[in-house]
Parts: sequence; structure tokens; C-alpha cells
Amino acid sequence: MERSAQSNGARTSWDFALIAITVALMGALGVQSLVGTLYTWWAYANVTGWERSGQPQFIATMNAVAAPLVVALVVVMGLCVPKRLLSRRTLVVVSAGMVAAGGLAALIARSVTAGLTVYLCAAAAIQVVVVALTLAGTAGLRYLSENRIAKAGSGLLHLGFIVAALVIVALQRSAAMLPVSLLAAALLTIGSGLAFYARSSSRAAIDEETAS
Amino acid sequence: MVAPHTILDALDASTRTLASLGSVIAAAIAVAAIAVVVTALGVRRPRPLKMAIGALVVSLALGEVLLVWFHLRLWQLAEVIDPLTGASAGTFAVPLWIESEKLYVWALILAVIALVARRKGDELRPLLGTAAAALAIGALVWGRPFADPLPDFLGGYRAYLAAWTSGDTGMAMGLAQGLAASRQYYYNTWYMWAHPPLLFLSYGAFVASFFGSILMLFHRRSSYEQVAYRWARLGYLPLTLGMVVGIPWAIIAWQGESWWWSGKVNMSIMMWLLYTAYLHARLYLRRPGMWRVVAALAVLSFVALVLTYVTTYVIPGAHSVV
Repeated sequence: MERSAQSNGARTSWDFALIAITVALMGALGVQSLVGTLYTWWAYANVTGWERSGQPQFIATMNAVAAPLVVALVVVMGLCVPKRLLSRRTLVVVSAGMVAAGGLAALIARSVTAGLTVYLCAAAAIQVVVVALTLAGTAGLRYLSENRIAKAGSGLLHLGFIVAALVIVALQRSAAMLPVSLLAAALLTIGSGLAFYARSSSRAAIDEETAS
Repeated sequence: MVAPHTILDALDASTRTLASLGSVIAAAIAVAAIAVVVTALGVRRPRPLKMAIGALVVSLALGEVLLVWFHLRLWQLAEVIDPLTGASAGTFAVPLWIESEKLYVWALILAVIALVARRKGDELRPLLGTAAAALAIGALVWGRPFADPLPDFLGGYRAYLAAWTSGDTGMAMGLAQGLAASRQYYYNTWYMWAHPPLLFLSYGAFVASFFGSILMLFHRRSSYEQVAYRWARLGYLPLTLGMVVGIPWAIIAWQGESWWWSGKVNMSIMMWLLYTAYLHARLYLRRPGMWRVVAALAVLSFVALVLTYVTTYVIPGAHSVV
């Protein structure tokens, strides 16, 4: 019993750490977006012909700053996806394997895009397995919610994000771009709907704090 | 072949009808908006306030019906015709949420939300009603959807008709090509009928979520936080769907152009990231003091939403109406 509680506590800390990193990375990208917007505003107002002279360099800089954040976010998402399926030790090994496969693909093809594509495809494949097992009601999958529909929703939601990322990374010039985008939209909508509406929402510990 | 002056005359007649009927509806909207503010801030009784908001919804909805009629007239009249060959590229299905009509749609959605809000409705309604009234007045003063409808679209289309009428075939041809391209990649695309309305729907829900968070910060009761969360999750669905639907549109319409880091896209990404961070952080609401982080993220997300909307009018680039 005690061990189970400890295991649950460790799992919660692990989940919390992943979510905290996700929030921090999103915050960093948000700050970058804000700074980029403010700079664009300033440049349009103060630099004559900036759209032609300065914008290409601005976009290159923004891409360079965003790239490590986006890669880190994709890696964290890659950690989040199989965390439901695997123990933490196996998870780290699998994630390292995914990063290595992506890195190898990037080196062979001499393209970061190819590396990210391989990584995202691996994450998508694992997520499809997770969703299938969740829908089948397999025991042992770890979610924050105990509600099966909410679990399926969470799985579909994450799969939708991976598919949307694949569109941006790999499919922009492909004929499959539109149908795959619509698939991502459908997965995100259905997943969000199930995840948000199937589980009862948490209550904050505000009342207790105020009362004390 | 249809003569350009025939189109122009019919267009002018429809614009005049819109302006004359619209002036009556605009007056009704203004009266209803004032009634909402007075009952929300002065009378402070739920029933009269709900009635005033109901009147605002009805008057805004009547205005929307009039705008639908005007857009149907544009669909019938505003044809892009090659001045030399007489070949038609088709007419315009101008969406109901662009240019002068953006703020109006947002006001209508918010007024409906103010009317139908049930959970903590009596506490939320004065704030939502006042916000809807302010948006409605803003839509009439700055948007002027009845008095000066679709200034960019009609300005461009009238310039094309004027060039054609004057016999300047070269200029008319150039303008016709530009209009045909904007028709194909902007006005008549299905994305325009999905992407903006989904975002406006989410904006309306996020306003309610913001007021829930503000009430929570003042009263420190989790029931208000629940209200804020319920509206936020309702807003997050159309926000995410609207943004994802926008990606293929941007790829197709702005192929090769540097739209990715434009001001509006930047701000939209920031807003979405903040709301995602809010919903993630909320999973750990039971942790001591976490509600403060969640409330801060909720307020910050809404500030980002307002800045995202304002960016359209302030910063040039893709999405801009500067």
C-alpha cells in the first residue's frame, strides 16, 4: 500500500515535471512571439522598406531562436506520449531511441526536417497504439484521469497535435497536406471534446485557503 | 455582356438600402446598449438587465439579417468579368465577418453568451452585458457596417468598375485579375467560412472565462474558478480547430510568402500557447497555491487575446487591415 502510494507520488511528480516543462517551453515561445510582434511593429514604423530589406533576416532569426524550443517541445511531447504505456526507465530508453533515430535521419538526409519527420512519425505510431489500447480498455495505461472516455480523448488530442506538427514539418508541399490537416483538426476537436467533457473538473483549494 | 454601370447602379441602390434600414437598426442597437449599461451599473437587478440584454441580442440579430441580405445582393451583383472577352470569373461570396463586420459579429456572439450564461449567470451578466454593449457601440462607431460597408472590398470592386466604364481596358484587366485572385484565395474559400467564425466564437467564450477569473480573484471562491474553466474549455475547442483549419489556408493562399512570423500569427500562437498552458496548469489545481498561477495564466491569456485582436489593426503584414 505504502509502496503504491509512493509510486503514485513519484508518477504524479514525473507527470507534473513534464507538464511544467511543457508550460515553460510554451511560455518561452510565447515570449518570443511577443518580442517578434513588438519588433515587427517597431520595424514597420521606423525602417523604410523593411519588408524587403529586413524581414528575411528577421524571419531567419526567429526561426533560429524558435528551432531549439520547438525541438524541445516535440521531444517533451514525445516523452508525454508513451509515458502512459511504459515505465519511466523504458520510457527514457524509448525516447532516447526516438531522438537517436531522428538525429540519424537528419544526418543521413542532411536535413532537420527529415529528422523531425522520423521523430514525429515514431511518436504518432506509439500514440496510435496508446489510443487503440485505451479504447480496448487495456489495464496499465497511466493517465491523470480514471475516466475511460477522457483517457481516449486525451490520447486523440495528443495524436492530433502530432499530426498537425507533421503537416507543418513535412507535408506543406504535399498533395496530402489538406486531408491530413483536416484529420488533425478532427482528432483535436474530438479529443478535446472527450477530454474536457468526460471528466469532472478539479476544484481549487481556494475555499480552504480563504477559510483558514 | 453586363455593362459595368448597370452593376454599379444596382450596387449603389443596395448600399443605400443598407444604410437607410441600417440607420434605424443602429439606433435600436445604441438604445439597447445604453439600457444594458444603465441596468448593469445603475439598477443592478437581474430581470431588467436580462431584458435589456435580450433587446440588444434582438437588435443585433436584426442587423445581422440585414447584412446577410446585403451579402446575398453582392453574391448576385458583384461579378468579375473580363472587359475584353466578357468571360466571367464568378461572383463574390463575401464572408460575414471581415472588415467592418468583425467587431459586430463579436458583439453579437458576446451578447448571446451574456443572455444564455446560466452558471453564476446573475454575477457574470452585468460584466458580460456591459462588454457586449461596449463592443456593439464600438462596432457602430468604428466598424460602421451599415453606413460604410466593406470599405476595402467595395473600394476595390468599384475601382475596377470605374476603370472598365472609363474605357481604360488595361487597368480594368489588371484590377479584374487581382479581384479574381482574391476571390479564389480569400473571399470564396471555405476556410473563410470556418476559420474566422470559430475564432470569434472562442473569443466570446474567453471573455466569459476572463470575467469568471476576475470574480474568482476578488471573491476567492472555487465556484467562480469552475465557471472560468468551463468557459475556457468551451473557447479552447473552436480556437484550436479554427487555428488548425487556418494552417492549410495559409499554406495554399500565401505559398512562398513569409506569413509564419507575421504579427497576427505571432500573437495568435502566443495566445493559444497561453491558453494551453492555463489548461495544463489547471490539471494540478489541487496543489496548494496553484490557483494563483492558474488565475494569473487566465488573465494573461485574455490580455494576449485582446492584443491579438488589436494587432490586426496596428501591425502590417498578413491578416492586416492597416
